Parts: sequence; structure tokens; C-alpha cells
Amino acid sequence: MSLPQQQLQIDVNKSPEVLERILRVVRHRGFKVELLNWKDETSQLLLTVSSERSINLLTSQLIKLFDVTNVIELNDVAQSKSA
Amino acid sequence: MRGADLLVSYLKEEGVTTIFGYPGGAIMPVYDALYESGLKHVLCRHEQGAAFAAVGYARASGEVGVCLATSGPGATNLITGLADAYMDSIPIVAITGQVPSAVIGTDAFQEMDVLGLSLACTKHSFMVTDKDELANVLKQAFSIAKSGRPGPVLVDIPKDIQLAEVEAALITSSKDSIDDFDKNTLVNAKALLSKAKKPMVYAGGGVGMANAETQLQDFVDATGIPSVTTLKGIGSIPNSKPYALGMLGMHGTKTANLCVQECDLLIVVGARFDDRVTGRLETFAADARVLHLDIDPAEINKLRTADVSLCGDLQTILPALNDVKLSIAEWQEHCSALKQENLWDYNAPYRSIYAPKLLSRLSEKLSDTSVVTCDVGQHQMWVAQHMNFTSPKNHLSSAGLGTMGFGLPTALGARYARPPEDTVVVVSGDGSFMMNVQELGTIKREQLNVKIVLIDNQRLGMVRQWQQLFFEERYSETILTDNPDFVTLASAFNIEARTITEQDEVETALDEMINSKGAYLLHVRINEADNVWPLVPPGASNADMMEKV
Repeated sequence: MSLPQQQLQIDVNKSPEVLERILRVVRHRGFKVELLNWKDETSQLLLTVSSERSINLLTSQLIKLFDVTNVIELNDVAQSKSA
Repeated sequence: MRGADLLVSYLKEEGVTTIFGYPGGAIMPVYDALYESGLKHVLCRHEQGAAFAAVGYARASGEVGVCLATSGPGATNLITGLADAYMDSIPIVAITGQVPSAVIGTDAFQEMDVLGLSLACTKHSFMVTDKDELANVLKQAFSIAKSGRPGPVLVDIPKDIQLAEVEAALITSSKDSIDDFDKNTLVNAKALLSKAKKPMVYAGGGVGMANAETQLQDFVDATGIPSVTTLKGIGSIPNSKPYALGMLGMHGTKTANLCVQECDLLIVVGARFDDRVTGRLETFAADARVLHLDIDPAEINKLRTADVSLCGDLQTILPALNDVKLSIAEWQEHCSALKQENLWDYNAPYRSIYAPKLLSRLSEKLSDTSVVTCDVGQHQMWVAQHMNFTSPKNHLSSAGLGTMGFGLPTALGARYARPPEDTVVVVSGDGSFMMNVQELGTIKREQLNVKIVLIDNQRLGMVRQWQQLFFEERYSETILTDNPDFVTLASAFNIEARTITEQDEVETALDEMINSKGAYLLHVRINEADNVWPLVPPGASNADMMEKV
């Protein structure tokens, strides 16, 4: 069974550990990373995550991180084709 | 000046008067800078003790607590204290030494990735990589710790940065302003309130953290709405108020739990639907609508969907709701009648000491400015149930993390946070007490006037209670009949101590302890069969409390 997926754009202040911070929260709050694209020059992370949980539970925790400046929920990613 | 000197100057500039710590190799420049600096450093006897002392200082004063440790084991020993502060939103700043920058990542002696370890248990953390950033990092650390929803912040400082020559450019921290709550939503909140026939305030730790006790009490006085508190909310509404129904949840009062289950509107004030509060979540106040007031947007709709929410400063939100007119006389009477029906029964027709009765008497004897810290387990719940508090700053209990070993070191911190005339009492259990027992050394060294009530059932009592009720009386590793002689132990630290075993000794023993000049340990032997009641069994609804077996 495939889980609902969501794409997030996360803008950050550059710091060596910022990716660890974000990924820790993603895992701990019950989300799985499906796809990750990090652009160091723009300090921007594009993240596709999946979970049974509502995406708000993740975004509200991510935006609290001191080095995260913005979290945008992009389009709902289509359900995995190989269900 | 050196980076280490800048740190000490910064702390003084910030208004920090007391710090708690333990020296070691990678923090030696800071200890050198502390020498004859005029900043009071309290040598705790384990870094966990130092972290908890900072927590106790912060909780009893409302100011940021500060602790200090070396790299590696020093820093890892702080972690439990940081986690406790994180779960209970306590503002502390932990400063750790780190091995020199050049050897970070080489598995150097006493090197540990403390920044990595801190990610899950701090609000934010820094490793200083540029000597010229040190002052700015310290300012940010203090600002983050106390702004918004408070929390612990860790600053890891490599030894070379402590030794580097730096410019003294000190700008102290500031609290970020809190975004104003949405005025449009206020109308909806008032509409929800005015329709309620059976409203209930569920007040949590956020009230005290916002220093909004007065505003909350004004709100319940103005509206007449009955109230319950969480463990950390205790003291934000005194039990003496007519419709204050006490603590709710797993070991809450019968009245609090039953009335919450019956209410039609739950006004959640700085609380977060913790599982120890709600019991089985789906059954918790199932017919109620929810008005959620909190500073942290992440708590809204996290576990329970709010019908209306207001995010912001409780000091401004609560007064904005005061003018709602309600007609809830019937509901008030119902709550009040239940409260009268379910008063605690201190009738204990046996010779051995009944801890709830002793704690109730202790509470009556202490002044309103006294601080009580406790550990975790049965005695902690008895303190929450049977002692009365008029401020959350006076009841220091490890709520979210539930850390045994919390009581003694937090009492040290509270001792420094409060004037000498405020009595500081630790209520501990024989299990918890041994977890940070080394801090008796700090009491001796600093000659601290801390009173200790050690409630001893020669068991890990709360686990024993669960083994009795839910694990077929298989008492696995919870029998502590081999405890040390606690009076002898206290005497090794020059602490006056006495054991009592019978009810008729309680009055004089409590008086003797309270009137003693310095530290005192009152060792209270109780029956191991005494359990904490009522109890909502795990997975059950709060309506299904067990009341003795």
C-alpha cells in the first residue's frame, strides 16, 4: 500500500547541521523521505515525504526549527503508481 | 581578552549570577576565566546534577538557568537534563567545552559530536566555529532560550576558541516579541464560549511559562468557568478556588476527570493533550468542542482538532475573553458538588505512616512562598494530589520526561533562585533519591538549607504498583530491601537526619525538619502496599478510573 506523498520546499539559513536537523524531525514525526534535492547555493531543500499522518504535523514542527526560514507545501504528489 | 573571558563577561552582562557546572580538560580556559571573576559557580557532583540545578533555577525564578560542562562525557551527562528541559519548555543555556577545532572529527580524547547529540533534545544548538562569532552566538542562545515557547539551548565551544584573542563586543539577549493573536478569530472564540453550557478550563504548563497566572485567575473569576490543571499547570489556579477541581489525567482527581468527560467546551490554556492527561485520546472529553489557546502553533490540531484556536501571548489572549457572559450556574453547582463528594480521605486506621496525609500536613505547615521539588513515581503523584500550590514556580516536577533523579539537583537550583526565607523541600522516593544522590555533596560543600523528605517503601513503588495491577504481581527488580541506611548516608555529608515509621511521629518530625537551621533529611518509612489512587489504567478512558483494589 502506498502512502500519501507531499512535496515540501524548505528554505534555510546555511549551517553545517541544518540538513540533519530537518531529516531528524522528518523521521521522528513519522514521515519517510521519498526524494531529496538539496541546493547549497540557494539554501533550499526540496523534499518529497510520505506518511499516514497529516502533513501539517510535519510542517508545523519544521517551521519551528531556528534555521528554517520558510516551509511551502508544493503540489500534492500523485500516489505511487506501483500500488 | 580570551574567548573564555568573553564568555564570563557576557554571562555577567546578561545578568547571570549563578551557574552550575563541573570542570574538565576541554573547558579549562573557561574555569580559569571564572577564577576570581565574581560569578558564582556551584560545583555539582555530576553534570546531570548541574543541568538539573540549572532547570531548578530557571523554574523557581523564571530566569534562564545556566550550566557548564566539559567535552565528551561531561557533555553527554548533560543530555538527560536538556531533554527534561525540552519536554517541559524550560529556558536553560548549556555551555560545553569541545576539543580543539583542528582535531574535531579525529576521535580525539574526550571528543563527542555533541551538536549531533543535541538535535533531539534542545530547542536549538550551536557549535562556535569562528571566534568572532562567539559573542553573537551567546546572545542568540539566551534570546532563543527565553523567546516564544522557551526551551534549552546548547553552545559547544572548541578549546581553541576559548583561548583565542577576541574583541569584547557584548550585546545582551532580548526576548522576541510575540505575534499578536488573530483578532478576527476572537469573535469566533467568544461565540464558542458564550454558547457553552458546560465549559471547562484545562490549564497546562504554558500558563506559568507565560507568567499568565493572574490573567488566568481573572478569567475564571470573571466567567465562573470550572478548571482543571495538568501536572505542570499545578499552582496556576490554586485549589482553594471554588471551581478549581485539581489535576486531571492518570492520577488526577475523580472530580477533575469526570467533569472534563462531561464538559461541552474544553478551553485548553497552554496545554498539549499529553497521553498522561487524556487517557485514551478518542474518549477524552469526546462531546466537547475545543478552544485552544497556546503560544506554539505546532500544538494546535496536533492531537485533538480545535474548533477555534488563538495563538499568541496568554497574557493578552485571556483578558480579551473575560467579558463573555455565561449562564452556567447548574454546571458550577454540579462541579462543586462533585468536588465536595470526592474530597481526599486521610483516614488511615493503622500505625504506619500514610504518605498522602503526611504530605497534606507538610503542605499546611509550609508558607506559600516555599518551593517543593520532587522526583518521579508514587511520591511525585502524592505531591501533586495532596500538596497545595499558589504558583507553578513553587512546584518543580519532571512532567514531560518523567526523570527520576530530578528532585535533589533541582532543589539546589531553586535554593539559589529564591531568597533564604523561602523554604526549599525535596520530596523524593527511595528509588529516585539514589539516582542523583551525589548532589548531597553539593549541599555539604555549599552548606545549603534544603529539606529532604525521603518517602521509603523499599520499592520502585510506581513500577511495583503496575506489576501488582497489570503484571500478575511479578515483582521484577523492584524490591529494594537492600537500600542503604539513609540516616547514616546523610550523616556522611553532615546532614541532620531522622527516621520515622509511625503516624504519631509525623507532626513533631515535620516541625523539627522545618525549624532546623540547615539541611535536613527526614526518612519516612511507609508500607509498600500503599498505592496511588485513583488510577486510569493504560489505554482506558479517564471515565474508567480504578479506585483501590
